[in-house]
Amino acid sequence: MLFNSLPFLLFLPTVVAMYFILPHRWRWMLLLAASYFFYGYWKIEYLGLILFSTIVDFFTAQFIASSETQLKKKIGLSMSLFTNLGLLALFKYSGWFMADVLHPISAVNDAQLNDFQSFWTFALPVGISFYTFQTLGYTIDVYYGRAIPEKNPFKFALFVSFFPQLVAGPIERFSHLHHQLFTEKKFDYSFLQHGGRLILYGLFIKMCVADNISPIVDQVFEQQNDASSAQLIIGALLFGIQIYSDFHGYSLIAIGTARLLGIALMDNFNAPYTATSIREFWSKWHISLSTWFRDYLFIPLGGSRVSNTKLAVNILIVFIVSGLWHGANWTFVAWGAIHGFSYLIERWFISKYTAAWLKFPQWMATMFIVFLAWILFRSASMESAAYYISNAVSSESAGISIEWSAISISFIGLFLLSDLHFKNSSIHIWLNKQSAIARWAVYAFFILSIAGFAGTTNHPFIYFQF
Amino acid sequence: MLVIKKIALLGLVLIALNFIYKQFAFTAFVEQYADQYLQVDKIKDCDVIYVSASSNFPPENIPENDPRKISQFVSDHFPSLRFEAINKPASHAGVYRHLLALFPEESEAKTFVIAINLRSFGPSWINSELETALNQSNVFYNQRPVLLNRFLLSLNSYDNASAEERSATIQHHWSVDELPFPAPKNTVNNWCAVEKWGDWRNPKRQLADQFIKQFGFVIDAENPRVKDFDAMCEVGRARNISIVFNLLAENIETADSLVGRDLTHLMRQNTAWLVDRYTSKGFRLVDNLDVLRERNFTDKDFPTEHYDEEGRKIIAKNVAEALKELHP
Repeated sequence: MLFNSLPFLLFLPTVVAMYFILPHRWRWMLLLAASYFFYGYWKIEYLGLILFSTIVDFFTAQFIASSETQLKKKIGLSMSLFTNLGLLALFKYSGWFMADVLHPISAVNDAQLNDFQSFWTFALPVGISFYTFQTLGYTIDVYYGRAIPEKNPFKFALFVSFFPQLVAGPIERFSHLHHQLFTEKKFDYSFLQHGGRLILYGLFIKMCVADNISPIVDQVFEQQNDASSAQLIIGALLFGIQIYSDFHGYSLIAIGTARLLGIALMDNFNAPYTATSIREFWSKWHISLSTWFRDYLFIPLGGSRVSNTKLAVNILIVFIVSGLWHGANWTFVAWGAIHGFSYLIERWFISKYTAAWLKFPQWMATMFIVFLAWILFRSASMESAAYYISNAVSSESAGISIEWSAISISFIGLFLLSDLHFKNSSIHIWLNKQSAIARWAVYAFFILSIAGFAGTTNHPFIYFQF
Repeated sequence: MLVIKKIALLGLVLIALNFIYKQFAFTAFVEQYADQYLQVDKIKDCDVIYVSASSNFPPENIPENDPRKISQFVSDHFPSLRFEAINKPASHAGVYRHLLALFPEESEAKTFVIAINLRSFGPSWINSELETALNQSNVFYNQRPVLLNRFLLSLNSYDNASAEERSATIQHHWSVDELPFPAPKNTVNNWCAVEKWGDWRNPKRQLADQFIKQFGFVIDAENPRVKDFDAMCEVGRARNISIVFNLLAENIETADSLVGRDLTHLMRQNTAWLVDRYTSKGFRLVDNLDVLRERNFTDKDFPTEHYDEEGRKIIAKNVAEALKELHP
């Protein structure tokens, strides 16, 4: 079920209340049942896949831990990698491979391609990339001896399926999440206060900012042939704000939901649009994924302690894989490549210039690259992205009619300002410093905005498709 | 205790916010999404209210001597009564039932004429893409705090199936719903496949196809529109409101000439079922199904209930006859 839906708003308080009413020994079972209910609410068939992934990784981790030779451990890890990446390949990339590789060389015909794509597109389970990476991280940790495998398969199933972060992260590490799920916690009002604030703010930026921007972005990208240069540039800027507010909002709701249960998930964003370099951007954007790639791909490839050539190759691999993780399309590959090349250029030529007065031009350059790359991320194809970019530079069109709303613009402004203000902090800490009247005024503002002025069309979270 | 206090405080805040929202922002949203909500308030103090989809209106771009609505022609028969109309294109009983419930108890309007499009009982209309927008409006028509209704709209707490899902549902009905004829007329898809007007490029073939798709169904008590009409009857009884159902005319001549007697028989059978159901419940149902000729229908490439001046006047006269029993 979606976080911004009525079923979830009924489901969540029920689960939280039951969690604290039940004796400690039953709580994790409640969470497991709730998590499977949460996921199965989309489609009951999804449960089969997560169950399969859970069973495979549970047993491969046991196998790795109990193996005495390195070869056996490697076989175990390979089984986990093959299964998890195989599932991703089958559900996420096979359609693309058929369309962009096999179809052009006539290895499959149109009818076969259509049948294949319509089935696998329909079957793509929500959040498969997230839980696959989380469970893959677990077996890699067991392989390197960084984690002791869970002996109870049901408890392990809870680690894989914990509902607040199941479908779009944050992608948690076993060492951070697992013990929290089973530690006894007494009900504390601060859980409700902290979690509630994050959920409220998350809903505000998802429903009031992202969902109000979405129709405008959709319109500009769909009518890019008729849009003026200024509109295309604004469209790209708005998409950057939309995807950030959408995903950041989702992450805050996820973190807040877990917090209600006394569980701390890792932060996923830290004002990424204040970054003055691509390197800094990736330390602030989708932190749980970027650190996952750092720990489970970049470092095993050799990390920074390799030759410049090898380093460049490793960095490009990480960014391109990161692009592909987002979706099966050349646009995502190009998006990752832009970030990868920019990162390298920055590392080799720019990072030595650290004068304070350079911060602003460096921020401008970083944002130019980030928002340029967002055009690729949002476009349906490379041709469409190239057309968008060339028209953004020199469109002869008079423009399309866009309905701007003063309320939406105000929400965007407020979000950007608050994001800047909460850098290295959070709304929870900020609210703690305010008087009771100010706090309740903020709550009232968020509630009124969410209930009365949120977007009205159906927009699932953007990252669900990944 | 602290939690209970905070929840109580939250409740007070919500009540205050609902009041603020209703005073300062609600009207603008309703104008955009559910303008009939506001219309109800304006017209609640009249005698007769005519509720329909687009059938009430004269055709655009066709000059007429008297380009007025059916409801206005009806009102000509009752100079002493105050008539008003609520119209929303593509709407149906699923919308009307909410509108009817919106009229306050103290409203002076005690007679409602509700137009029935026979097509609206079929899977094509029930699962039409236009339903999403109508369902959005229906969220506002519910008798809940306005801020909650607006919130539910943002949560997409209504049937907002995608166009693809709706299309798949329609296709499913067309391929599996049994019609009371032997094969190949046993389902809509099978029937369409054997139509006699040449290939798909032939306009006659396309129109014949549409007639089968729009009227190829059997109404029963489980039909969602029937349930809506039943609900309206309940409201009517509970609030002592007189309801006259106006079953609109269909282009029987064209259906007969293009598709044949089986389809028109099915249309008449469905009409008879509706007449029987609602007259037996004590309501008036004006059966206009077969009262117009082909020339009275202004849309020639799709089966609709859009009529010329003569057609509108004939229907208005029949409705007026039924109303005279209530307002002699």
